[in-house]
Amino acid sequence: MMLSSQKHIFWQAFIVTLIVFSLGIIVGVILENWRVSKIDYLYKQSEITLLDIRAQGDMASLMHLDCETAIQENLAFADRIFKEAEVLARYEAAERLTEELELEHKKYDILRAILWSNSIELRKRCKAGFHTIVYIYDYNEPSVDAKAKQGVFSRVLSDLKEEKGGEIVLIPMAGDNGLSSVGLMMNLHNISESELPVILIDEKIKLTDVTTVEEVSKLIK
Amino acid sequence: MEILPIVYLSYMFVFLYFLIFFLMVYLRNREDLFSFEKLGKHYAVSFVVPAYNEGKTVGEALKAIFDIDYDNIIEVIVVNDASTDNTREVVEKFQKIYPKIKLINNKRNLGNAAGSQNVGLRHAKGELIAVVDADSYPSKDCLRKLVGYFEDPDVGVVTAPVYVRNNNRFLERLQYIEYKTIGFSRRLLDYVDGVYVTPGPLAVYRKTALDEIGGFDEKNLTQDIEATWNLAYHKWKRRMCLATEVTSTAPSNFKAWFSQRRRWLLGGLQCIKKHWKTMFNPKTGMLGMFIVPFFILGTFLGSVGLGVFIYLFSMRAVSSFLYTQYSITAHTPLVTATNFYITPSFLNYLGLILFLFGLVFTLIILIVLKEKILTKQRAFDILFYVFIYNSLYPLILISSIWKLALGKVEW
Repeated sequence: MMLSSQKHIFWQAFIVTLIVFSLGIIVGVILENWRVSKIDYLYKQSEITLLDIRAQGDMASLMHLDCETAIQENLAFADRIFKEAEVLARYEAAERLTEELELEHKKYDILRAILWSNSIELRKRCKAGFHTIVYIYDYNEPSVDAKAKQGVFSRVLSDLKEEKGGEIVLIPMAGDNGLSSVGLMMNLHNISESELPVILIDEKIKLTDVTTVEEVSKLIK
Repeated sequence: MEILPIVYLSYMFVFLYFLIFFLMVYLRNREDLFSFEKLGKHYAVSFVVPAYNEGKTVGEALKAIFDIDYDNIIEVIVVNDASTDNTREVVEKFQKIYPKIKLINNKRNLGNAAGSQNVGLRHAKGELIAVVDADSYPSKDCLRKLVGYFEDPDVGVVTAPVYVRNNNRFLERLQYIEYKTIGFSRRLLDYVDGVYVTPGPLAVYRKTALDEIGGFDEKNLTQDIEATWNLAYHKWKRRMCLATEVTSTAPSNFKAWFSQRRRWLLGGLQCIKKHWKTMFNPKTGMLGMFIVPFFILGTFLGSVGLGVFIYLFSMRAVSSFLYTQYSITAHTPLVTATNFYITPSFLNYLGLILFLFGLVFTLIILIVLKEKILTKQRAFDILFYVFIYNSLYPLILISSIWKLALGKVEW
């Protein structure tokens, strides 16, 4: 039979594996946390910018200041969190061990809801010429069909944004994150979770079927 | 955490465990790998060579046997299993040169090597029975290095590493590397009494041990694995010597390779079916405590992995189909630059590291076995072997399970 010194190798290898594996998991958690802190940093900057815009809006209504600056800053902010959303989506797709990014996503959704209401307000108050396109998608458990549809919707809207630039404020947000602010806006515009993904143009036109960039452009006009 | 990452992590843990296990056994015994037991008693050895349509190779195999440097080979029994080629004529020609050759012609084809081996076994008079395939070529020093192990009365069988003789074509070169790693790993298992197969190309059995287990199981597609498990069950030691070798002809085309691997897998499944009750039974020694669980774990992980792969693949296929349909409707491109902008997950990194560990282990084996690894062709072969070739196992598993389900368990 085997030497007695060799028979211990089975559990010794197990212990070594456990140590190496645990180290690997720790490194994985560190990597994911690093990504979370990167997103969190971006979020904080965006949050400050939004608060600044809101404060500016409040002051504008009090002092009858120029609307143009507020509109431009709103558009710039929308572009900024749209780009950050892309980074967040990539990191989320690569998140395996922790679920921290889900919280970041929720925080961003709140920012987007505020951006949405801010945009509506600006359009009313300043008679701004931009259009709001809100894209509400299924975040938590989209079906295979919804996932494929959402992939195409994202592409159509990205192309549209590229084409229209400052003419539109594009706001993608999760519709099933359990946030009361988002829920409220969805109720207000008769959007239920079961019909997601939905594109809402200027709070008037609701699109649930896949369509071309040209068709959406026509609807904006 | 979702289920899929847990499945991935479990696989990675098992893979890492065996990698570390083998590495530890190697590090502990690296000075002793090529040692062998000194030849004491010169036991009488009978060779048994089953042959079915081996006219092209049997002559050279016989020559190799008679070239062996050992003074007590008493007979070489060739069992011709009703070959339809010139096997019989070739052996008869060699009989004139080597009178120790005994040719037995089966009246009808038995359909498996085990049957012919048992025929040879019944006629053999030696204390040790060396079983050699008719397309395999034992090295000159094999008996001088293997027979010494039988000084230990508990040793029932001793084997040597099988290396690939033909290594010109790509598939042959991959098998060349594979056989090196198999032989080396088996030697490492020898240190923990874990040798689970004494392969057909060359295994020397104690006749009394073979008699105790009733010879080879003719219903099993891998009678060599089954015999080894049976010997382990009967508390016989199985030993492996890395100091000598036997070369064999590996399949040259994909079809032959695939059917050989499928036979190995089916045979393994048959062995599991026959011996699963020994699992975790300490009374059955290493058979129940290591060999059977090792095989069952391998089959289980292979099957689950396959299931996960099929699930992911079909989901991806459905998703791609729908995505394509929607893209056509929306007139959007199917692929854009963003598709190539990938953020790797932690599991991607871990998987890559494990593959690299596997690569390093393969390199260690080849370096220890004094193989050249720095040529362009060899470097490519090694990379292909580690990253692609080893991943083909689930494909063979599907086919084996399918055959087993249809009841088509045949040679």
